[in-house]
Parts: sequence; C-alpha cells; structure tokens
Amino acid sequence: MKINGVQIDDTFAEAFPMKATRIIITAMNLKWAYRAANALRGFATSVIACGVEADIERELKPDETPDGRPGISVMIFAMSAKDLEKQVPIRVGQTVMTTVTTACYSGLESDTQVAMGKSLRYFGDGYQISKLVNGKRFWRIPVMHGEFICEETTGVTKAVGGGNFLVLAKTARQGLLACEKAVNEIQKVDGVITAFPGGVVGSGSKVGSKYPFLSASTNEAYCPTLKGVVKSELTDEIGSVLEIVIDGLDEESINEAMRVGIRAACSYGPGKGIYRISAGNYGGNLGPHLFYLRELLK
Amino acid sequence: MSTLVFSLKSKPTFTLDMSSITPSVLEGLTLAKIKKLKLVYGKETVTVDSLFNVKGKYNDSIVIENSCNKLICVGKGLSKGTITVNGDVGDLLGQSMTKGSIQVNGNAGSWIGNKMSGGRIDILGNAGDFIGAGLPGDAFGMNKGLINIHGNAGDRVGDRMRRGIIIISGSAGDFCGSRMHAGTIIARSKVGKYPGSGMRRGTIILDRKPAHIAATFKSCGILKMQFLRLFFTQLAAMDKEFETFNKLGPTAHRYSGDLARNGKGELLILKSKTK
Repeated sequence: MKINGVQIDDTFAEAFPMKATRIIITAMNLKWAYRAANALRGFATSVIACGVEADIERELKPDETPDGRPGISVMIFAMSAKDLEKQVPIRVGQTVMTTVTTACYSGLESDTQVAMGKSLRYFGDGYQISKLVNGKRFWRIPVMHGEFICEETTGVTKAVGGGNFLVLAKTARQGLLACEKAVNEIQKVDGVITAFPGGVVGSGSKVGSKYPFLSASTNEAYCPTLKGVVKSELTDEIGSVLEIVIDGLDEESINEAMRVGIRAACSYGPGKGIYRISAGNYGGNLGPHLFYLRELLK
Repeated sequence: MSTLVFSLKSKPTFTLDMSSITPSVLEGLTLAKIKKLKLVYGKETVTVDSLFNVKGKYNDSIVIENSCNKLICVGKGLSKGTITVNGDVGDLLGQSMTKGSIQVNGNAGSWIGNKMSGGRIDILGNAGDFIGAGLPGDAFGMNKGLINIHGNAGDRVGDRMRRGIIIISGSAGDFCGSRMHAGTIIARSKVGKYPGSGMRRGTIILDRKPAHIAATFKSCGILKMQFLRLFFTQLAAMDKEFETFNKLGPTAHRYSGDLARNGKGELLILKSKTK
C-alpha cells in the first residue's frame, strides 16, 4: 500500500489501557492560562519515568469554562487512577496554583474521581472555604494574588495510550517537517494528545534492555547509525526515523488521529524525503489495542 | 388531565397539615384512595375530599389550587416530582425535602425549607421569617438545595443554615444570615440590620451596603473576587432565570466575620453591577 508514493508497512501499532483525566485551567487571559498549562505538562512525556503523560488538548472560549474566562483543557494520562491521584494534586499545586490569576476545574464527568482541591485546600492553612455550587464542590484558597479556586476532584476515565506511527525519512529535517504537519492535524481531533515535545519522539524505545535495571532502551532496529550492525528495519536511503505517540480517550479517537496524522505526513512524499510509514509494536504482547495501519487508512 | 389537582373548597379556619400530599405518598394510589387520605386539620383529622376537590391523574406532579396561608407543611419530605401552589401557603413549606421542586404562585409563610437537604423552592411572592432556618432545637437549618424568593423576605433568613443557596430578589429583613454555619445567601435589594450576625462561615452577597454592619465584621477592602465570577457563571448555567447574574462583575467590598464566632464568614457587597 502506498499513499502519495510513501510505503505503508503491513504492520500495526500496539497500544495499552491507561486512565485519563481532563482538567480546565482558566486565567485572566489565554497567555496566563497557557503559562500554567505549559508548566503543568512539563516533564510529562512518558509514564516510563515521568509518572504521567500530559498535554494541552485545546483552547476553550469563555462560554466553555466554569467561570466564564478563557481557558485551556489539559489531558493527563497515567497507568492507573492511583498514579493520577498522586500526580494531579502535585502538578496542579506546583504549577497552576502558582500561576497568577488561574483557577482549575474538572473537565471530565465520571464516577471515579481523583483529588484536586481536596488535597490542595490545606495550603489555605485553615482560611480555605468550601463552596457547593450547581452540584460541584469548589475550594477557595486565599493566596497572595487573591484567591485560587480549585474544584474538589476531577473525573477519571478509561483511556488508551501508546497509539503511534513511525515516519521513516531521508533526513531528520525532512522527517520533522512532515511530523510537524501531522501533529497539527492530530491536534484538531478531540480527546487525543501527543505528549512528547512538539508531539514528536526523537528517541523511540523498545521494551527492556540488556541492563536489568532499565525498563526501556533504544530501538536499535530503527536506529540509522546501527544499520550495518544489528538486524535493522531500515533500508539504505533512510537516515532518520521519527515517532508520533498518541494517547486518547478511546480507540476511535486514536484511529482518527493516526489516520489524519499519517495522511498529513505522507503528503510530503518521497520527493521531499518521506519514504515509509511504519508503527511500533511488540508482537501483540504489550497491550490489547492493535491499530493496523493499512486498515485504518482504507 | 395529566396532573393531580387539589382544589381547596373554602378557606379553612384552622391550619391544615399537607405533609401527606406529596408525589411519593400518592404514587400507586387510586383517585378514590387519595380522596380518603387523612389530613390533620387543627386538632382533628379529616379526609382529603372534605376540604378539596381532587381530579386528574398521578404523574409525579401535584397542583394545589385556591391555596391559602392555612396550608402548612406543603411538600414536607418531598423526595421527587413537583408541587405547584396557586395562591398563598403557610409555614414550613418544603420542610425536610430532599429532591424535587416546589413553586408557589403567591406568598409563603415562615420556616420555608426548614431542614431541606436538596431540591428547589421558588416563591413568586413574598416570604416570612426564618427562611431556610432551623427550628429551635435543630442543630442546623437547610443543608442543601436552592430557595429562590422573587419578592421580599422577613427576618433571620438562613439562620443556622449549613449548606445551599438562598436568593432573594426583593428586600430581606434584619439579621439576614444570622448564625450561619455555611452556604450562600444573595439579597438583590435592601437588607435590614446586622446581616451575618453570629455567622461562623458562609457567604452573604449584598447588592448594596446595609445600614448597620456589626462591629465584629472587619473590612478586607474592595477586591475582585474570583469566587463571584465562578458563582455567577454557575448560577447562570443552572437556570435561564438566573442569566442576569452573568452580567454582574466580581468586584465587591469584603467584610470578614463574625469575629465573635470564628470570623470565617463573609459579607460581599457588590461594587460592580456590570462585568
């Protein structure tokens, strides 16, 4: 199968179950909402070492937020609700609460909840106030800029993590151009994030390592500099492999994100150094969600 | 006829306890059985059909026609459905209700929403004293829910309330929000003397400065209250009727009190009438 002359490998991306939450950050204006959101999603590229994977989902208009101010929705993914319970209050407390004029709300309704204001309220040192409005509990924490408002909890839902595809290009520069376009298209799909910097992974990994203390290590089969040394998946003309990893609220949203992302990357074609699209999998041993490239592109 | 309609035949001489007339009590009863339900009338017990013409069919909603202030405990313990009262109603409306809604197209007596823990009460006319308050001996007044009074309210609105929202579009009497434990009261017009007297926590939002604020309230200055922004936006989202709150700005003069208790309550006197 080829799209615009780009070879689509007969393979599949392998994804695994995760838990996700969505939080809404509002501020005086979008600039400050972005500052808080960018701080919150910092060091949240992979659960391998960061605890969570997080990214901005989209901007919100004032009529879409609980307090009528401009906002940003951020999605946070983890391997379990327990991991979210640990990471969400820490991240919101250290990044959103410290950003001037911000407030933080739940963006996802669910029976399963993790603490947000419920934990952060203690920062108020006894001066915090609880308010139950419209069926939701909010905490008003007096802070030096005024008042930090945070919803008590945020909902947690089942999600899918690790949807991916590989862009095999002549050079890293050419691969990156195609990936940037792909990420732009993926960002238009609701309910998905690409948590790595700029949405692109420069050092995709395999599970395990020759070193027992390491759970993930370089994916040598796709490293151009090891073509002559290992059993490589790369042909001579390929000099760089970039990966786009997608987390989503369900299989369908990842399907859609992969579809639009691959098509965007392929639009550059071999003439601009894009030769193949492949995907990372572990023989079906890692997770139950399999995304066959050729099927989703039909 | 899609609802059960109870039309009062004539104004009773004594108070009439209406606590048996709620959707959950009437569910599954035939019209004949409903007519023979017992009501406490003064010191006596009478059947429903001796005082009301009853017609219609059960469907979770009840209408009381020709109502007057002798009807007490209307909607007591309401746990589902709606009650519409055309005319005035007496004391203890919606006492201990947990869900559902009551609308009074007239005036209401005192102790509305006593011990209510959910649901909504709308009074299109005026209301008496002790709205959402606890009776003597009660630990708390209303515990959750919404009371919306279009007209004026009497003294001690929200006395000892613990949670919930009371909105008064008209004026409120003296000691509004006295001894509040928590919750929110909004008075859109004048309030009487000493609002929030003895309050422990909770918020009283006032459209204008009251004539007398107790010395145990201290000014925190005029501030942009982020909470008001959220609160007004959420109120506007609750009901079309409350969309006007969306036009109010967040600037308010904050008084913290009552410092004679623990001072964690607040009076917020609105300063910006527009966003």
